Amino acid sequence: MKPSWPVAEFDQVRRLRALAAGVSGAAVAERTVPESFDRVWEIVADLEHELGAFEPDMRTIRLRRGPDGALLADARGRLGLRARFRVELEPGWLWMQSRFLMIGVAAVPAPGGTLVAATGGFRIPGRAALFPLAVRHANARALRRLAARVEDRG
Amino acid sequence: MTVTEADDLVPLVLRAQRGDAMAMSELLSVLAPYAARVCGPIALADGADAAQETLIAVFRNLRSLQDPAACRGWVRAIAVRESVRLAKRSARSTPVESLEHLPSRADVEQAADIHDVLARLSPEHRAVIVLRDLEGLDEVRAAALLSVPVGTVKSRLHRARDTFRKAWSA
Repeated sequence: MKPSWPVAEFDQVRRLRALAAGVSGAAVAERTVPESFDRVWEIVADLEHELGAFEPDMRTIRLRRGPDGALLADARGRLGLRARFRVELEPGWLWMQSRFLMIGVAAVPAPGGTLVAATGGFRIPGRAALFPLAVRHANARALRRLAARVEDRG
Repeated sequence: MTVTEADDLVPLVLRAQRGDAMAMSELLSVLAPYAARVCGPIALADGADAAQETLIAVFRNLRSLQDPAACRGWVRAIAVRESVRLAKRSARSTPVESLEHLPSRADVEQAADIHDVLARLSPEHRAVIVLRDLEGLDEVRAAALLSVPVGTVKSRLHRARDTFRKAWSA
């Protein structure tokens, strides 16, 4: 009989912590939102309607598929700046990169609701590095807005 | 995934090393199941933390990896080191000084509950077993990776097998 070896768990929040470790200047904010994973993720995943509600630099965002099938997002910021993101979106996982911005959100069910983690900020173009200006505070603020938005949608 | 599958990650590692965060994410999605597979049997209850600490160390130091073709071996070495470190720190195991009492591959494969077999061993023993039985390394290479003396391992295996079987049937 082939033995069944134990395999370590590696959830989406741990995945975000690991990936953020490779981004110079990145910080990960975490917060438990007292709602189910499905309700929280429904909002995070609705990028076209909800991303701007918790990522204040985003005003409009439109998703489309690139020629290779990759998910792309054309975004316009508060100051009218345009950005084209490459996007990874799957249950509990959002990772977006443009030339100037990086956004990561992860979520897992947790005692008391859903553990949500966020990272990102203004990117130093061409590098896995963020301008280290209040990134921790900005990510924590994004999670506060997300928690409020989940509550609003009740 | 074995040590022989070395080169397929090279383009992805190079893109990730150049700072493409999407490539980093893609690389992580490949390496995470591998790290989880190595960390699980060594760190047991600390497996999730060990896998996380492994991958944090991997991505924090990715740019310092000089040979992208060696990526998996590099990840494996970090995974083993972090798993042993966390398992020892948790004090759920008794430290050992040698690699005696190592169950054979057949003992492991015949075990009804491998978790129970592993839980009877020290983290260092578990690491050798994982490297030998799961990763296909010989004991000499496995012990070298762990910085543990292994010169007498093979001659002790017969005795270790008996010891293990006695413990197993007790």
